[in-house]
Formats: sequence, C-alpha cells, structure tokens
Amino acid sequence: MKRCYISDEHLNGFVEALMGRGPVIAPVAKQSRFVFEKLETVDDLMLDYDTTILPPKVAFFPTKQELVTFDGKEAKSCINPTDQVLFGVHPYDIKGIAMSDKFYTDSHVDENYMANRRATTIVGSSVQKHYKHAFFGSVCMEVEVIGHDMFLTRVAGGYVADVLTDKGEALLGLGQFGDATDAQAGEADQVNQAAMENCPEKLENTSAQIRDKMRSSFRSDVWEELSEDCFSCGSCNTVCPTCYCFDVQDEWGLDGVSATRCRTWDSCLTAEFSEVSVQGGCENFREQRAERFRHRFMRKAAYLNEQLGGPACVGCGRCSGACTADIANPVVVINKIMEQ
Amino acid sequence: MSCSCGSNAENVFLPKEAEIISAKKMTDTETHFSLRMKDGSTFDFEPGQIVEAGVFGFGEIPLGLSSSPTQTDSFELVVREVGKVSKALTELGEGDTMMIRGPMGKGFPLAELRGKDVLIVAGGIGLCPTRSLIRYIMARRDEFKKFTLFYGTRSPKELLFEEDLVEWRASDGVACLETVDQADESWKGNVGVITTLFEKAEGLDADTHVIICGPPVMYKFVIQKLVSIGIPHSNVFVDLERRMKCGIGKCGHCQINDKYVCLDGPVFRFSDIEELEEAI
Repeated sequence: MKRCYISDEHLNGFVEALMGRGPVIAPVAKQSRFVFEKLETVDDLMLDYDTTILPPKVAFFPTKQELVTFDGKEAKSCINPTDQVLFGVHPYDIKGIAMSDKFYTDSHVDENYMANRRATTIVGSSVQKHYKHAFFGSVCMEVEVIGHDMFLTRVAGGYVADVLTDKGEALLGLGQFGDATDAQAGEADQVNQAAMENCPEKLENTSAQIRDKMRSSFRSDVWEELSEDCFSCGSCNTVCPTCYCFDVQDEWGLDGVSATRCRTWDSCLTAEFSEVSVQGGCENFREQRAERFRHRFMRKAAYLNEQLGGPACVGCGRCSGACTADIANPVVVINKIMEQ
Repeated sequence: MSCSCGSNAENVFLPKEAEIISAKKMTDTETHFSLRMKDGSTFDFEPGQIVEAGVFGFGEIPLGLSSSPTQTDSFELVVREVGKVSKALTELGEGDTMMIRGPMGKGFPLAELRGKDVLIVAGGIGLCPTRSLIRYIMARRDEFKKFTLFYGTRSPKELLFEEDLVEWRASDGVACLETVDQADESWKGNVGVITTLFEKAEGLDADTHVIICGPPVMYKFVIQKLVSIGIPHSNVFVDLERRMKCGIGKCGHCQINDKYVCLDGPVFRFSDIEELEEAI
C-alpha cells in the first residue's frame, strides 16, 4: 500500500479536479445534519461530518431505481452507469458497501446495482467527529474495511492518503500528492485507532457470541418487550447501510402504453412486507410487530453474521437516531439479549 | 421515461416474451394459460419451479409451472385473480404476450422420488404447481411406484383440471382421491377437509414420499396425519407460497427466517424447515 500526503491547501484543488472528470458524491450539510449529495462546489464538502442521514449506498442503489422500461412493444434494460467518485466515506460505511456488494452478487449477480458500483471510485475518509450513537469500534470487528480505492486520514496540516487500488492510484495525478513521512503515517494510524476507541456506545460481545445467543433467543419473550413501542414505520431499515430489501412496482408512462418497472427501498418492519394475496384477502407470515422486529435483528446479528463472519451491522448508529420510538438501538437490543 | 438502454443480457429483471397459445377460464377466478417463448427457445424447467409472470404497467407475480417439462412444445400456468397483477394477467387472451422471467427456485426432488411410493396432497390451487409433478409421473409412470393424489377444494365448482382428473382416476397404479369442504347436488364423492382422505387411502406407509401444496392452514394438519402413519419429516416436501418479488434472492419479501423461498424453495424438505417458526 502506498501512503501519500496532501496538504489542506491542496485538498480543494484535488476535489475540484475530480469534479472536473465527473460527478463527485460527498457529505454536505443539510440543516443540522449531513447527506451524501453531488458536490456543486468544493466549499460544500464537509469532511468533518459525524454521519449522514442516509448511507452512501444511495450512490449506486438509489432510493428509487428504474430496472426495465417498456415502450409498448419491447422491453429494454435500464442499466446505464455513470462514472463517479464517492468521496469522504467513513470506514464503517465502506464496510457496509462491501457487504452490499456481496449481497448483490451472491447466487445471482444484480447488474442493476453492480454496474453502478463498478463505475464508482470510492475515496474513504477518517472519522473526525463521532455520531452520538456510533459504536463501530465494537461491532463486526472480524470483517475488514475493503472495497475502497483511496483512504484519507486527517492529520496535522492535511491528509494521509492511502492508495489501495489501481483506481486509487489513477487519482494521484489529479492532486498535489507527496509521499507521507513515517511520522505522518504513524499519526494517521493513531487517528484511526483513536476513532475506533472513542465511539460513544459499545457492544460487549464478539460476533460469534452474539450470533449464537441470537439464534437461541428466537423464541424468547424479550422480543415482545423490546418491540412494544414499535410503530412499524421502517425508519431503522431506511437509514441502514446494510439493508438491501426492495419493492418492485410498475409505473405507467403518460401515453398510457409505455411503462417502467422500478424498485424502491423497502422495510421488513412494515406490516405489509410479508403479505401474500390469497383468495378472500391476504396471509401475513410476520403479522406481529415483535416478529418483524425480531426478524430484522436475526437477519443482522445471526443469519447474515453466519455468511459474513460478523453481523450485518457496521455500528453507524443511524437506526438508533432515526427510530421514532427510540427502541431500535442495536447496542441496547443486543446487549439486552446477551444478558438473557 | 428517461431511461436509456444498457445491456439487456445482463439485466436479471428483464423478462422474455411468451406467446399465449390458449387461455381458458377454468372457474370464476382461475385462468389456464398455455404458452411458448416467442424467441423459439424451449422453456426448460423442473417440476415445482416458479416463474415471474407479468404485464408491463401492472407488475409481476410468482407462479408455479403447472405443466410437466416432458411436454416440450409449450408450458402452462394457472392464474388466480386475487389482485391487480393477476387481474391484468387473466385479461390476456390467445395471441397476446405474457412477460416471463425464470424458471426460478428449487423444484420437487425427482431423483429422490424415483422408485418410491409418492403421495401428493393438493389443496385448492395447490393442484396447479403439483400438476407439473403429477404429469411428469404420469409421463414416466414406470420410474415411480404407487402414486396417490389427494385433492381437496372448497366446493365442486372450484375443481381444477377436471379432464386430467378423469384421466388420472382411470390410470393403473394411481389412486386419485378427491374431497370438497361443501358438496352440492352434483357431488357424489367425499365431503370433508382433505385430511379425511387418509381414512380412505390404502397402502400409505412410512416409506411413502409426500408432497404437500395448498393453503397455509392445511400443512400442519396433513403433517400430523403423516406422523401417525410413521412417515418421517425427511420424506415430506412442502411447496410454499410467498411474496417473491424479485425471484433472485435479493428483495427479502419471501424470507422465512434465513431462507429465501425463491432460491432455497419453493419446495422444501419439511425436516429442513420445521424448526423455522415462520415457515408454516
């Protein structure tokens, strides 16, 4: 791995050079929070953000995505990727993207996702401020932070830039990069270590312990208790970097003949998610909110944990902040299960 | 519609066109379609597999194939009108195009069923996906031992595939037992829920391999009867219905605990899923 350095005074020039090549999706301020959005001006870039409202997967798995279009006679694919840079992604979100990459390529390759993903160069950045619910320093530690092309760590006077792939290497020519000194590289390591250690919230157990305990707690009454105030709103799903479920719906064109098949993010916490139409009504296979609440945690902490080697939870804390009833915090839920 | 084209070959959501050879109304709510692929390709599948069948502007629904793959010039589907998409499908007629993706999922375990006594328990529209296996067994009768079919509907007017039933009833080595929940004047057969047929059946024993497909409420009661005969759960296969929206194990709607019905099913060995609370 090549370790470079770019000073504060040259960072904006680098970002502007990236913007000159194509869209740069980066954290920008939105009222009191932050969002990943296409940069209109480099001055909007907020690398000292705590976390964003929605995870950066929006860059290749938008909240609504056209899959197939029909002109009245023939159906055509809507796969049409744009080369872009996803800039300033925190390590926990890089992990989430790597998990999504796996989910969308296991069994069947979903090119509607993967084509966008491959067209994206990812530049990560170190956590400079912690979101109040972050616990990424104590979850999914067995899963590597991989899949990004360059990683910027805030150090005195600038950033240490770790070059991780050929795509990352190709970015070096766009900025005034020099080699990082040993002192700068050492400082970067300390900064990233400190970010892990200083998370405001903490899980107490290993991924394997959590996986086994979750499995054995499936029939526990604790799920009723934990989900008692759940509104089934799905906010926890919507903000999650590793949730990847979706709905598929058709939309008519204005001509009344053409149509577009689209997918939109969907939420397993909503009451209708598992409904099946049957004669005379519908059958719901997770009718109770406790069943749906449990399903989400089983997915993250047991089922996908078994596939990934760690929970499908990266510790961003977004769900804890988004939950209307303040019951979704994985630290509270998992620590409670582990105490059973 | 701003969409511009990518590579059609790579898009797993892009359906293929199938021409409707015939569309026959079977009951008030069911329509039986015979189809062939418009590109001339043979539609290869295993009994028990599903397709996503759709009409643009309305959407897609998962359907079990109801013909046997031994019939190569066409394939068949039955659509029950229960919602927006199924209504749009049932309005299609001969010569129209139905959009098809698939086949998908894991079908019935043919290799394991060969050389065995087979019992199929089909409730209502559950006869449609199991018909793919029934017709397969009929086409290759010597590969299977005794074949028993239990078929139950709510009333005689809801009986599906009556021509097939006539043929199956008359076939050697086949026991075709039918029942209705509520009889009318025309009905001379058994009246009662499908489990009442166990008293009438002969030759079912612990080595019998069983396929179950029907309304969700039916499975538990049938399995209780099978247990009383001594049939182990590992010899029982259930064909499950869920809201399979993508058919490729991504969208999450069909999940039963950690299983995707569209990938790991829709046919499951019962002993593999009996511990899954959300299964039946």
